[in-house]
Amino acid sequence: MPLTPPSDAELDIMIRARLASLGIDLNQLPAGTASDPETGSPGQASVLASLRSFMRTTVAELSAYQVPFAGAAGTADPALLSQQAAPPALYPSIETARRTA
Amino acid sequence: MNPVDSVDSQPTDRTIDRRSFVNRFAVLAAATSLGAVALPAVAHAAPSATAPAGINPNAYGDVRPEALADITELTIAEAASLIRQGRLSAELLVEAYLDRIGAFDADYQAFNLVAADDALAGARALAGAAYKGPLHGIPLAIKDNYYTRAYPTTANSYLFKDFTPPFDATAVSKLTGAGGIVLGKTQMGPLATTRATTPDGRITTVNAWTPADPRTNPGGSSSGSATAVAGRMATSSVGTQTGGSITAPSNAQNLTGLKPTMGRVSLYGIIPLSYTRDHPGPLARDAKDAAIMLSAMAGEDPNDPRTLGLPPVPDLVTAATPVKRGNKVAMRWGTRVGVIPDFTAGSSETTAARRAFLDKLAGIEGIQVVDVRLPEDWDTLTSTAFNNVRLPERSEPFLPLLRKDLRSFGVSVTGWLQGSMLGANEYVLGQRAKVLLLERVLDDLFEQCDVVLQTSPNPFDAIGLPELALPIGFDSADVPVGTILGGQPFAEDRLLAVAAAYQAVTDWHLRRPANPVGETPEPISVDPSKSRKPFAKSARGKVPAAPVPQGRGRFEAHEAAELSQ
Repeated sequence: MPLTPPSDAELDIMIRARLASLGIDLNQLPAGTASDPETGSPGQASVLASLRSFMRTTVAELSAYQVPFAGAAGTADPALLSQQAAPPALYPSIETARRTA
Repeated sequence: MNPVDSVDSQPTDRTIDRRSFVNRFAVLAAATSLGAVALPAVAHAAPSATAPAGINPNAYGDVRPEALADITELTIAEAASLIRQGRLSAELLVEAYLDRIGAFDADYQAFNLVAADDALAGARALAGAAYKGPLHGIPLAIKDNYYTRAYPTTANSYLFKDFTPPFDATAVSKLTGAGGIVLGKTQMGPLATTRATTPDGRITTVNAWTPADPRTNPGGSSSGSATAVAGRMATSSVGTQTGGSITAPSNAQNLTGLKPTMGRVSLYGIIPLSYTRDHPGPLARDAKDAAIMLSAMAGEDPNDPRTLGLPPVPDLVTAATPVKRGNKVAMRWGTRVGVIPDFTAGSSETTAARRAFLDKLAGIEGIQVVDVRLPEDWDTLTSTAFNNVRLPERSEPFLPLLRKDLRSFGVSVTGWLQGSMLGANEYVLGQRAKVLLLERVLDDLFEQCDVVLQTSPNPFDAIGLPELALPIGFDSADVPVGTILGGQPFAEDRLLAVAAAYQAVTDWHLRRPANPVGETPEPISVDPSKSRKPFAKSARGKVPAAPVPQGRGRFEAHEAAELSQ
């Protein structure tokens, strides 16, 4: 049975909780959608809307991606072979040069 | 212009085993059945020449008459040549730029700080001094996210408003060590995000080609660095690029910008936006100047491990020196220029300029223009979601400041909060996706070509490959049109060679914008019989940014949140 996507209210609770777990209090920003007249920083409602969208697009799209295995897979489960593909690298261009240096 | 180099000369991309990805994975796959692991033989060979300690005398051409008549027109190569010949003093060159800064920077808003007296003192100290290097006496503008011990480094942010670093960024030390003179610090998008604005979003820097119209984007975030050079208020400048912030302002303002391979230039002493994607590099007047600047900036730095153990810096200045066969400009190295799908699609002025650019390239001996297909899953691996993988690198180093005062991030805060939302799973996946994308770019895209034209800087920013921006024309409103070439790891020499050949058969890069309305200083000539006339508005002392003129408009927080820098 497919998961029910989180509602706006559920995401707002998650976002505030995640930020609070990092020690960030969203209440530092002005309430509502209007920007802070002194600093130009956005209102809390605007930030929450942006972060909800971020969770529904960026996080969801990344999580749905499976790195493909380039070799011969045979009948093996692609999800298992994916573990062998493309080990992570922070600086892949640098690693390329070092690999051949 | 030099004759074609000897046959043993080769660009850096021929010294690195591009196929190592395929070979390595193929061998590892085979090993699982054969029971043995044997990695492929190494294929890195030393390039034919490394960076020169001084000026390569064959690499500096004649000085153009218009630049002799107005020294603010001089390229680095031209000015350096005149200074070495004793025909131009660094002091006079600095004076000429201070005149223009005093006359026009209240309109341009390119600088956050002009260190006028210090620059003059530095120039005077060079008179009769030992030759310091290829930038001896050259006035430079430095983006305000590079640490400068003598001046505040604000990144146009409330967070760094009162920050004066305890040391110079390595890149700044290298530039001044090579004889460069710091004229000042340039305006930028807050924390290197948007086009240049105040921290609360008020637009400051304008495009030097449309100083009366702030709606024309000057390119961000290295906006001030571009406007300073295009507006002839510095000979060259430096910027940083995380998502197009060198290539975009260079394209917008008719400059040649070079975003080098990750690790080629030290990031030590530069305020981070994204550790794995920040690249320091020059915004210059032509390919030769970009090569001189990068040669000075590049190299190992014990304070930045990303710079260690890399291929040696090749002779970039010679690479950027056009060659001739007979009377015709020719490519230094035979080069296939890849054209990606849709590069010339549509009927806009930009695509018309691109078509003309390709025609011109195709007429240069040694260049082959080829259509290329993009690697599998290109759209997915370069999508907004995968581009956003950079964002935790934005939030993590700023976490104490996010806890303390969100408002101090001004209009840019949302991107930092987005970074806080991305989990470690997604971040690790993003680093794997980068490896996959680089494998496919090297093994598929660069199987079809040697350099590739880009329609967005972000894919190569993400995987750390070099990009060069160059002018290719103007639209009907006389606003510059540029394009971006991408190269293989550490192949800045190949990119420079292509740009140099193109610039030897075109003059787009030599065109300069008209001055803003207002009192204009008399141009200063190299001719010793014509002395400089004092200009009352010439910048002096330490000049902070002028007040933002009314009517420039604002950048709002929701717009900043959507950007890709």
